[in-house]
Amino acid sequence: MASLGRMLANIVHEINTPIGSILSNNEVVVRSLDKLQAMLAAPDTMPMEKVRAIVETCRSLAAVDEIACQRIASVVRGLKTFVHAGDGEFHQASLQDAMTDTLKLTQGEFRRRIVVETDFGDVPPVECQPQMLNQVFLNLLVNAGHAICGEGKIVVRMRQEGDQAHISISDTGCGIRAEDCGKIFASGFTSKPAGVGTGLGLSISRRIVEEVHGGKIYFETQVGVGTTFHILIPIQHARTADPPKE
Amino acid sequence: MGKNPNASVLLVDDEDMVLTSVRAYLTLETEFTIHTFSEPEEAVKHMQNNPVDVVVSDYLMPRMSGIQFLMKARELQPEVSRVLLTGHADKQSAIQAINDVGLYQYVEKPWDNAQLLLVVTNGIERSSLLRDLRSTISELATANTSLKDVQKRLLRAFL
Repeated sequence: MASLGRMLANIVHEINTPIGSILSNNEVVVRSLDKLQAMLAAPDTMPMEKVRAIVETCRSLAAVDEIACQRIASVVRGLKTFVHAGDGEFHQASLQDAMTDTLKLTQGEFRRRIVVETDFGDVPPVECQPQMLNQVFLNLLVNAGHAICGEGKIVVRMRQEGDQAHISISDTGCGIRAEDCGKIFASGFTSKPAGVGTGLGLSISRRIVEEVHGGKIYFETQVGVGTTFHILIPIQHARTADPPKE
Repeated sequence: MGKNPNASVLLVDDEDMVLTSVRAYLTLETEFTIHTFSEPEEAVKHMQNNPVDVVVSDYLMPRMSGIQFLMKARELQPEVSRVLLTGHADKQSAIQAINDVGLYQYVEKPWDNAQLLLVVTNGIERSSLLRDLRSTISELATANTSLKDVQKRLLRAFL
């Protein structure tokens, strides 16, 4: 999918930045140690003020390295959930964790352009195929990001409603035109420029939600205001639900 | 490497970690004055009142892209050497932008410190040469005007 390619490009960017900092800092620390060692050999050659400045610089670079490593670790944790293609089996999984991991992957795409708010209610573990739902979440988040031109907001909510988990993803984007509303889940339909959308994302998302999980996906939209996608997933998958008593 | 101790280098990146790392390296290796900005708009304000020799800018930034910022930098100070520092995997669009805007150099993240230092040092020299050239052209224009004036007076005296 083109959106996956774009997402990977952003992940590369997200990882390259901290790596660049760490590599540079490492070099600066080594060069600083060389200078300090030279100063120890000939104490009068460097003013103490300069020595203190070098030590302070090294300390601030160590702090930057810690942040940089945490950033990389966070992206890698997010990626891990996508590494396993899924075994086709249903597991008890936390949708909050799945969504949190997926949101980590969109950080590079959204950066400071889009504010993401999460409002996860008390939803119990859901019997599902988490890797597949991650694909749905990623697809809807990427779409929401594409719909927002410039700055905007995405709100992700989760609630338990009866025997279902209700997930909604709202954006303050351009909305979906009335003439497109009936077509967006059709395979091959896209309103995005060539090379950005394949028109498969929503069609696959619907298959995953409705055919695989027995849930429902629908949306509300207003042109110029934004779009909200709703996903309903049964907390207990139908195939393994208790058989009705005879 | 401590040439041009008065040279001014401007770093613009919305990632503070990049600003800290590059500033630490350039401060350790050079005597240049380093200014860092995480908001391109603030960097533009700085350039309105302060001469700058080299600008190193990130590509992907919110509100104002690196390309938009560097175009603005050229408007404000035409001789400034403009460098794009990017980790964006979409090299094609970055190259396209470079060709459109006519940048001095393009450096990829993760960057090599020695390469970045060379680019910055050469950029400072380039800016300095361009300023000298502009000043020489201006002097020549003044001299030319004086010569024309003399010529006119001579013609008037002899004809």
